[in-house]
Amino acid sequence: MSQQSGGAPGGRDIFLVSNSVDELGGVTTWSHQMARLFSERGHRVQVIGITPVAEELRQRLPQELPYGTTTLYDAHPPQARALHGIKGRLNAPERRRQASRRAGMRARAEKLSELFRAARPGAVVIVTQVWAMEWVALADTKGLTVIGMSHESYEASHKSSRAARVRRHYREVDRLLVLTEEDADLWIRAGMENVASMPNPLPFMPDSPAPRTGKVVASIGRLSFEKGLDLLLDAWADVAPRHPDWVLRIYGAGAEEPVLRAHCASLGLSDSVEWRGSTDDVLGALREASVFAQASRAEGFPITLLEAMAAGLAVAAFDCAPGVREIVTHGEDGLLARLGNTMELAAHLDALMSDRGLRDRLGDTGFRRVRRYSSAEITDRWEALMAFLER
Amino acid sequence: MPDVSVVVIVYNDAERLTAAVQSVLDQTLRGVEVVIVDDYSQDGSYAVAQGLEAAHPGRVRAFRLPENSGGCGAPRNHGIRQATGTYVMFLDSDDVLERNACRNMLAAAERTGSDLVSGMCVRVHLDDRWHRTTEWYPWIYSRTRTLESITEYPDLLVYDTLSTNKCYRRAFLLEQGLEFPVGIHYEDLLFSAQAYVAARRITLIPNHVYFWNVVEKASSKSISNRRHEIANFVHRMEIHRRVDELLAANGHTALKTAKDTKFLKHDLVLHLRDLPLLSDAYRREFARLANGYLAGIDPAAYENVNHLQAICAYLLGKEDWDNLLPAADAMANKGRLSSPLAERDGRVYWCAEHLDDAEGRRILDVTDQGFHTTPVSALRLGNRLTSYADDGRGTITLSGAVVNPLGRIAPGAGLKASLEFRARRQIGVRSFSFPVATVRHAGDSIEWTATADIGSTVRPLGIIDAVWDVRLKLTAGRDRITTRVSVGGVDLENAARLRVRPRLTRLVSDRFAPEMTRKGNLSYVLTAQGAAAVRTRTLIDSAMHGRTAGVVKRSLRRALKARRNLGSGEQKVKVYHEVFSKLPVRKGTVVFESHMGKQYSDSPKAIYEELVRQGAPFEAIWSYAGARPTGFPPEATLVKRWSWPYLRALARAEYWVDNQGFPLALAKRPGTTYIQTWHGSALKRMGFHEPRTKAQGKEGQARFQAAVDRFDHFLIRSEHDARTLAKAFRLRDEVLLRTGYPRNDALVAAQREEAQSGERVRGPLATELDIDPDKRVLLYAPTFRAGADGAVEGFEFPFDVEEFADRLGDRFTLLVRTHYLNSVSLPPSVAGRVIDVSRYHDITPLLALADALITDYSSVMFDYAVLDRPMLFFAYDYERYATDIRGTYFDLKEKAPGPVVATADELLQALAAFDEADAKYAEARQRFLTEFGEYDRGDAARQIVAKFFTRSGK
Repeated sequence: MSQQSGGAPGGRDIFLVSNSVDELGGVTTWSHQMARLFSERGHRVQVIGITPVAEELRQRLPQELPYGTTTLYDAHPPQARALHGIKGRLNAPERRRQASRRAGMRARAEKLSELFRAARPGAVVIVTQVWAMEWVALADTKGLTVIGMSHESYEASHKSSRAARVRRHYREVDRLLVLTEEDADLWIRAGMENVASMPNPLPFMPDSPAPRTGKVVASIGRLSFEKGLDLLLDAWADVAPRHPDWVLRIYGAGAEEPVLRAHCASLGLSDSVEWRGSTDDVLGALREASVFAQASRAEGFPITLLEAMAAGLAVAAFDCAPGVREIVTHGEDGLLARLGNTMELAAHLDALMSDRGLRDRLGDTGFRRVRRYSSAEITDRWEALMAFLER
Repeated sequence: MPDVSVVVIVYNDAERLTAAVQSVLDQTLRGVEVVIVDDYSQDGSYAVAQGLEAAHPGRVRAFRLPENSGGCGAPRNHGIRQATGTYVMFLDSDDVLERNACRNMLAAAERTGSDLVSGMCVRVHLDDRWHRTTEWYPWIYSRTRTLESITEYPDLLVYDTLSTNKCYRRAFLLEQGLEFPVGIHYEDLLFSAQAYVAARRITLIPNHVYFWNVVEKASSKSISNRRHEIANFVHRMEIHRRVDELLAANGHTALKTAKDTKFLKHDLVLHLRDLPLLSDAYRREFARLANGYLAGIDPAAYENVNHLQAICAYLLGKEDWDNLLPAADAMANKGRLSSPLAERDGRVYWCAEHLDDAEGRRILDVTDQGFHTTPVSALRLGNRLTSYADDGRGTITLSGAVVNPLGRIAPGAGLKASLEFRARRQIGVRSFSFPVATVRHAGDSIEWTATADIGSTVRPLGIIDAVWDVRLKLTAGRDRITTRVSVGGVDLENAARLRVRPRLTRLVSDRFAPEMTRKGNLSYVLTAQGAAAVRTRTLIDSAMHGRTAGVVKRSLRRALKARRNLGSGEQKVKVYHEVFSKLPVRKGTVVFESHMGKQYSDSPKAIYEELVRQGAPFEAIWSYAGARPTGFPPEATLVKRWSWPYLRALARAEYWVDNQGFPLALAKRPGTTYIQTWHGSALKRMGFHEPRTKAQGKEGQARFQAAVDRFDHFLIRSEHDARTLAKAFRLRDEVLLRTGYPRNDALVAAQREEAQSGERVRGPLATELDIDPDKRVLLYAPTFRAGADGAVEGFEFPFDVEEFADRLGDRFTLLVRTHYLNSVSLPPSVAGRVIDVSRYHDITPLLALADALITDYSSVMFDYAVLDRPMLFFAYDYERYATDIRGTYFDLKEKAPGPVVATADELLQALAAFDEADAKYAEARQRFLTEFGEYDRGDAARQIVAKFFTRSGK
């Protein structure tokens, strides 16, 4: 039942609606990956963005896309500002601005409605970000299946205003998809009854694991406080003296770089840490290493961790989110340390660097197990879900 | 074929049937059919069902049993036979399904292939104004989980006995021949037990699936209603017997034990609560039924219940009503002590009876509860009403008896009491007090009688404050005791409703009716009896729900909140910074605090006493926590922690001296000097070295940094401190004062004196504690333990303290001092041989008194090393402690200057051969002292005073 069980022959009409078509970030990468996968299965895909983004935030997309893209606005719509009490009521200019914003939203929603009405039976609207849902909610989705998504952990949603908006705007969708079962349970316990989970697919799936011969521990990610590079350096300070022939290679760039480099120097690690900047060849970088380390304070469904396992590296990470626990089973296909416990993370790195057999066992198991996130598996799950929601 | 068939059963419920059926038709899953089975209703239920069938052809079918079956079993069985869906669910005509229930159940069933999927049921309280809801056993449904067998999760069978919040594979029901029993109540219990046991796979989902509409009428509480319940109890016991048979037939002994535990914990309580009100005949019949069942209960189940639950079951078995009824009262009111207790052979028992029976002694032993050592004023004593009389208008005369446990209220103690009426909802403080005319000591109780003219004294507002509780405030000597009054067997049904005059006039309410609360306590409820009052009441009730009322209520709530906030931490912090900190600094003032105000102790005390000794010109302000300060120096100004005077004192002080941390939220002004003495060298990781801190967000770390940046001076006693604590708090080197700890000056002095004179002199503390001069003194000072969530665990002896007393009590006196976050209660049997010294704020004199120290990981080891006396490390949970999330700076086992033992047996053996074993540790002790206490030279306090307080110009 995995293959095109519903809809018109020749596949479904699928609309992927996001804040924008080409904003730099994980959701855009995901949308275009899924659009390509759906197209390859014979579905007719349309990627829709609400607004255009500024040049410096734009992601480079291939010239020829096998699906169409549409952007509703020509320029970013004005911000919505909450007006409270009597003061808000008397703020006439702001109220006029908001009225015109609402009118603009209705007009754009009408554009969506036209696209939706033209779709054949069995069509599906996938809303990847809750902000975009505000337009979809105004559009006419009669006869279509609407799936909402939240591409972050429950905890991360609740540290921002998005949790409240997810609750409000996704309440009536046919399914709200979050990244892991554990996050789904949390949303259900918070009162959302239409929740299920769907992991992200792997971008690549090499045929063989990395040789794991280089005495290199790799770290890939933005250099931000959230990614915990300072904690990784603390842990490295514990292990490095015991393994003078190993290096820690840090890929990535970000605002924290000067602070981190200073921290690195103060720990006396300048000789064993290499700062490599961002890379376009993630797989190449991973294949030069044997161990992958991740010390993030927060994560959703960390794709770099998945990529490292797909490359066949042995991984050690902080157990900071349900997404991490879902990907790694401690002791079987990787090692997990309690968040913030750098001594424990150091002990895990030490074990992986000292024990070739352990490295190979965990690396090989991980390499095999992450196939459950292969693009074919995940596309099957999507098709099964779309069929289920028609019953 | 539909995916799910929902069997809706109905009996005389034409009114609500449509809503139930509609909740199925409105499901997000489209492939759903409704099978209505009418249990031969006398009203129009079947006609409604037929109407629904006609309106939704192909989706709804209606059936009718040929005669009334009197239960839920027969119609549900009929529904199973008529259903055509792959899955079957059950719905009662007065309840509804959650809109996504079928879709969520089906998704789970297809994903896992389970025979049975169960979701959370929600009770909707229809008689509550807001239709309040409560989740049914939410902890069972906290997450999605799949069981291969019910044995993996016995609690599911034991607690969730409903059949309606579940989705069954129809073929599974048919293959297993699963049916509801007919002709008996509580059919759900047996059916769900059968289904759980037969299912090859069960999936639990955290979704709400079923809304169970509940109406709890007040009338159902009346005695006459309860009398029918013996018949229900017969049914209940019969169903339990059948479930037990089923479990036995399948060899599920672990399930049976879990079920027995629940019976003792919950089912029995439910019935015991009402016993005081019921007749002897009822009680005898109840006991016959219950004891028949209790006889078959697995003795192991008693291990899993708390002491009161076991006591109740035991006393019921003995049909000892006199002791059982107080025990049942205590069970309903957590923490209440309702029995006078008895002491035998150094142990404390719930009652004096049944102690010749070994099982009775075991179950009735309540020594560990500490009733004999807890201060009387901290006990929640039972207070039973013995008579109730009224004049039919507004005056009542009450008599009662307060329990006097173990005669702890002495016959000579001066007794005084008042009766207090207090509105449960406090809008302002509303209470009225009446003097109690007679209070007298009657051996194991304190009897009292009071007459109160409620009608003309108690003036409720009239609305909002509808419920009033009754308390007796008893003063016995210097102890003040507050008790609730339990109704017991006193009949309130025939008591008069008293006339009252609410402030909002009698038009609002005119009567005050005595009632028994759910927990059996006396309260009064405002009601309307006169025609006028009834009319206004209706008016008010409807007005309370209107739009205007909403506005008024919101503003009122806001006003009340604003008033509450005035004394809140947030407001106080604001005033501290914006007002107090703008006032000039008062030269010469020092605010002292030790362990967040909990004690007068440690280095702040040592510095304070040195200042007093030298006659330095300064004004001392000591901070204290808790209701009343005890043990603080009378000549100092005392301020309660977080009070307005405390904040004012801190804002204007020239010096802060503290060993742990003044409130993190309070900034220190530049004109104030903060001397942080700290309270011990570190074994566990601290501050920024703690994983908890590392995991924090940027803001949390910045807040912590700001708090430790307030330290102008930080005392250390070794370079170990400089490497650990100073780094952990990111302190600059110039902040560190290498003076050693002022608190240890006394220990250094004691050690020097002893070395010079060659003899150890015991001070006045030994006399105060009445210690035998021929016995050696051991001090047991363990640290506290925290659970995974960081909550402090209660203290429990890791060895048998009575065994210690028996084996070694003739050679040693054991002093026990728990961490200040813990407390301990010793059995009376060890009196004189084991002494609880936890109440002493300052540990230093105890250290000086002790001939040897037993500890685990407490930092007291670093201080005691100064004395160069034997130390013994009882590290029974070393693995757990050393590998838990915090981690340690060094391996204690490597550096410990004394034997490290892991079991109680090893401990007692090591103590028996103490002196011989200790000789070989002399060198290790010196090493330990050098590493962790090199700066403790006996002049720390003098150095501090000289540096900051007496040298001219400072």
